[in-house]
Amino acid sequence: MDAIHQLINGKMPEWLGLAVEILMPIVIVLGVFLTIFALLTWVERKALGRIQNRRGPNRVGPVGLFQPVADGLKLLTKEDIVPAAADKVVHFLAPVLTVVPAFMVLAVVPVAKGFIPVDLNIGVLFALAVSTASVLALFMAGWASRNKFSLLGAMRGVAQVVSYEVPMVMAAVVVLMAAGSLSSVGIVEAQRGFGGWFVCKPWGLVGFVIFQLCAMAEVARTPFDLPEAESEIVAGYHTEYSGFKFALFQMGEYVAAITMGGITVTMFLGGYLGPGSDLPKIGWLVSAGWFFAKLGVIVVINIWARGTWPRVRVDQLLGFAWKILLPLSLVNIVAMAAWHFAPNKLVGWGASAVVLAVALVVLVKINAGQSFEKRSYRFIS
Amino acid sequence: MNFVFLTLSAITVLGALLAVTLRNLVHCLLALVLFFLGIAGHFFLMRADFLGAVQILIYIGAVAVLILFAIMLTRNISGTEGGRGSLGGAWWFGVAIAATLAGAMCVFVRRSELVSKLPYGATEEGVVKEIGKLLVSDWVVPLEIMAVLLTAALIGAVVIALEEEKKR
Repeated sequence: MDAIHQLINGKMPEWLGLAVEILMPIVIVLGVFLTIFALLTWVERKALGRIQNRRGPNRVGPVGLFQPVADGLKLLTKEDIVPAAADKVVHFLAPVLTVVPAFMVLAVVPVAKGFIPVDLNIGVLFALAVSTASVLALFMAGWASRNKFSLLGAMRGVAQVVSYEVPMVMAAVVVLMAAGSLSSVGIVEAQRGFGGWFVCKPWGLVGFVIFQLCAMAEVARTPFDLPEAESEIVAGYHTEYSGFKFALFQMGEYVAAITMGGITVTMFLGGYLGPGSDLPKIGWLVSAGWFFAKLGVIVVINIWARGTWPRVRVDQLLGFAWKILLPLSLVNIVAMAAWHFAPNKLVGWGASAVVLAVALVVLVKINAGQSFEKRSYRFIS
Repeated sequence: MNFVFLTLSAITVLGALLAVTLRNLVHCLLALVLFFLGIAGHFFLMRADFLGAVQILIYIGAVAVLILFAIMLTRNISGTEGGRGSLGGAWWFGVAIAATLAGAMCVFVRRSELVSKLPYGATEEGVVKEIGKLLVSDWVVPLEIMAVLLTAALIGAVVIALEEEKKR
């Protein structure tokens, strides 16, 4: 915000300056992230195409780059069908409520040095709290459709989001302990210096992996896309949605994936920090470049996982959250405490790494017995 | 400030009224969520950001979802059955209790010396730190008792779930 303040200070009347200062970050953030959303759908389809040995979209514009525009126009002009038995008001509200929390999280993501729409002193807590509200939208969509597939998808979705929320918050606790602050800018600034990113430390690495997995589950990306499993329950909670309402669901999911990626970058990957992010004149540009480069890495990891992993079963999904991720994130807090009270860096590294390695081995051992036995066929020798 | 306060209050009161007067159970829950959101907005308005975020995290993220689960586990999931009157027969009794409670709270809040410190949350990072310090110093015994209680409840839930599995 300081950058904008300096830019417009004294160049226009005070009330206009104030209005610009309030509106400009909103416009910039919405514009930038909606562009990223449109690009992401294209990148995802291209990348999935490469993984599956086909070309992906390549008809509209150069290398299919205008595909998102064509998709948007198509969905806008489609008929909006509401089932006769549906609960009209809730059916209408659900897609709106999916998009709103996704965008609200953007308010506390520091995109560049000195650029954050609202610098709340409890920024990360706000992001985690708001992103939980999406579960209600999911349920509303499934419930209001009066469709068994929708309701099944909604129930799966609620169970999944509630389960993965717990390890996610626990994984975030480690970062808050290390930074000693709940503000997103404070967390980024605590990661200064070579190897200062939290992901470069044993507890940070474990926290990063847990948080990333939970973020993917929270926005129902592919290995965890049970709420909308096409092969089992048609399309899940948005079976009865068409046209622009369906587009809003897609948009909510993608924007939520991007914003959760932004929170991950802020908390574990050093946010906007990087070589050159403190340069006097162009620092804001370089730091924004760093932020979006890291965000790109997270997004590519998401797409890659989608192209590589099959969907998990619902018992595997919930068991993974409660039996592995949650205990591991609790042990991670202990490891962080060992790090904090260690007399020097080396002891801290050793202690926390040993604690985490032992916990991981034990957890995998305990849960290993639950895999299926090899199936034997009676009539095939 | 005044305009924002009035709008928020109107939303909050509307949510509360709808929560007790609507006939469909799920609609009631959604109205309740609206009410929770209004309260969170009031906290943010008073610069108590921490309380606002916790209000959203606990009441919308946990309490509302818990009620949701309770509704989903009943047979009446569409919420259309059950023809109770919109307010129930003894609504005046409820109103009397609510009025008494609100009156008592008004009296005690006005007497409290905290009112003179409004807006309390205005100090930057201080509030969260202050709450944390108080929790592990002056209020450590209640905190620990609460933790033990919650752990016991958790273990109890696991035990109940395990017995169900054995019977099958």
